[in-house]
Amino acid sequence: MKSYLFKRSIFDSVLFAYLSCVALVVILDPTEQSMLMLGRNALIFGLLLVVGVFVSYLLNKKGLKTLGELTFEPPHRKAVAKDETWYKTVWGWELLIFLGVTVVVGIVMTKVSILKLVDVDHFYPAMDLFKAIVQPNWELLPRAVLLMIETIFLAFLATALAIPIAFVLCFFAAKNIMTHPAAFAVYVTLRTILNITRSTEAFIWAIIFTVWVGIGPFAGMLALFIHSIASLTKQYSEIVEVVDEGPIEGIQATGATKVQTIWFAIVPQVILPFISFTVYRWDINIRMATIVGFVGGGGIGYLLSIYANQAMWHEVGTIIVVIAFVVWAMDTASAYLREALK
Amino acid sequence: MSETVLQVKNLVKTYPNGTQALKGVSFEVKKGEFLVIIGLSGSGKSTLLRCINRLHDPTSGEVLFNGQDIAKATKASEIREVRTKIAMIFQHFNLIPRHTVISNVLMGRLGFMGTMKAIFGLFSAKDRNDAMGYLNLVGISEKAKMRADNLSGGQQQRVAIARALTQNPELLLADEPVASLDPATCHTVMDYLRKVNQELGITVIANLHFLSLVRQYATRVIALKGGEVVFEGDPKMINDEWFQKIYGQGAKEVHIN
Repeated sequence: MKSYLFKRSIFDSVLFAYLSCVALVVILDPTEQSMLMLGRNALIFGLLLVVGVFVSYLLNKKGLKTLGELTFEPPHRKAVAKDETWYKTVWGWELLIFLGVTVVVGIVMTKVSILKLVDVDHFYPAMDLFKAIVQPNWELLPRAVLLMIETIFLAFLATALAIPIAFVLCFFAAKNIMTHPAAFAVYVTLRTILNITRSTEAFIWAIIFTVWVGIGPFAGMLALFIHSIASLTKQYSEIVEVVDEGPIEGIQATGATKVQTIWFAIVPQVILPFISFTVYRWDINIRMATIVGFVGGGGIGYLLSIYANQAMWHEVGTIIVVIAFVVWAMDTASAYLREALK
Repeated sequence: MSETVLQVKNLVKTYPNGTQALKGVSFEVKKGEFLVIIGLSGSGKSTLLRCINRLHDPTSGEVLFNGQDIAKATKASEIREVRTKIAMIFQHFNLIPRHTVISNVLMGRLGFMGTMKAIFGLFSAKDRNDAMGYLNLVGISEKAKMRADNLSGGQQQRVAIARALTQNPELLLADEPVASLDPATCHTVMDYLRKVNQELGITVIANLHFLSLVRQYATRVIALKGGEVVFEGDPKMINDEWFQKIYGQGAKEVHIN
């Protein structure tokens, strides 16, 4: 009950503060220097948040349903909701204004310009580049294939080494297993570490490892390995969190230990989805290996970076063909595998 | 006068969300009884059984099993030891679907063996023999090598009974054992429960919905309503008046034969 009010207030006040900030920027048209004053601007945003909480409270007290109320209201209130047309409601206009404002802000932020898109002077050079790419230099093919093979193995090893670690960690990252208060602290800590690891892009890890073990496929493999541990653990643990509780009770009732319960009641339920996600992770790792190669992680990405930096577009074309073929093949194979494992 | 196996005193269970499932339940179970608990859905029957084998932790009160208060047990090893002596079967059988029938039955031995031994499937020859014996007892030894999810509901519940028996329990808890079975299969499963009760001398506490089954199988009945005991006694004593008290005004009895 309390948490619903809390969520509603946060939701409404963030929305209010966001829209107010956009309005302030439009009205005051501040200089870049004043936009960079993070501390002061954060304070303004914070004050607007406080105002937003009050606005949300007042609107809902008057019976005008806000978007936050609509999203988070508990079932018993949803059950008695009035049937109103959206444009006669506060939340309807809130949603419309939010979407409209966000599209406009997005266009301004990304400096969208139709003029630049139809500028002939720059259109043709871009087309020339494109033409070069679609006329690959086949002499590079043997080398590209060789490095592609290196990439596939690099991605495979990164995935394979991550599996046992993720398999153990996933149970510590699953809410339904870490129920004890002390265990819950472990759960939160592990989740935090995993999220930080995962949100650090693989190519950042690759740069770190090229400094550590030197440029080459080993650095790339380590980067994908770290990233795979975090991603697989998260995906595995999400599967563990939705297992059927019945077999768990069934095994617990025999006097089994926690580890026995996990092994006999949970593992049989999750093993197929685990395999399916792992195949998919290998597939993703092959694609990520290209990016990792750009920063010195070896494989085909490294070759691509060399030719792209020298503007040798025919050679870039060859490499793209090889990558596209392997991505297509992996995608098809993993789709069939995952279908079969359902 | 046979000895008391289980004594529940003033048992209270309040869930974290504030729901009071049990409001001070007290009763006794003698050795060899077939005690049936009846009551509406939500009257606290399932919670009561789960408090006895500590799948749920009671909020207050005592659960004396052979004189030892197991409601107070806090160590995981103590709770596990209690569970090995009190087996349980469930409405939805709670077998491991991808394992074979015999493997499911052998899981009744988990509480008696080391974690690693169990994970590598190193069950002793005696355990395997016993497991086959109990499958024979419930009449489905020919299905031993089949995957559990290939069996019908009634057969799965018999496997669950065999799993419970491999624990060599003193007490068997049955939570709505026939609620998801068709009427014909109901009797097969109930007959096996009676066999377990009479031939092996295992005390049974079962939650049931149908009064006709209760009259046929129970040696004694307890009725729960809103988390409190409202009736205790011989199943034949439940007449229309009591029925309305337990299930509410206007309720009609459904017979299954």
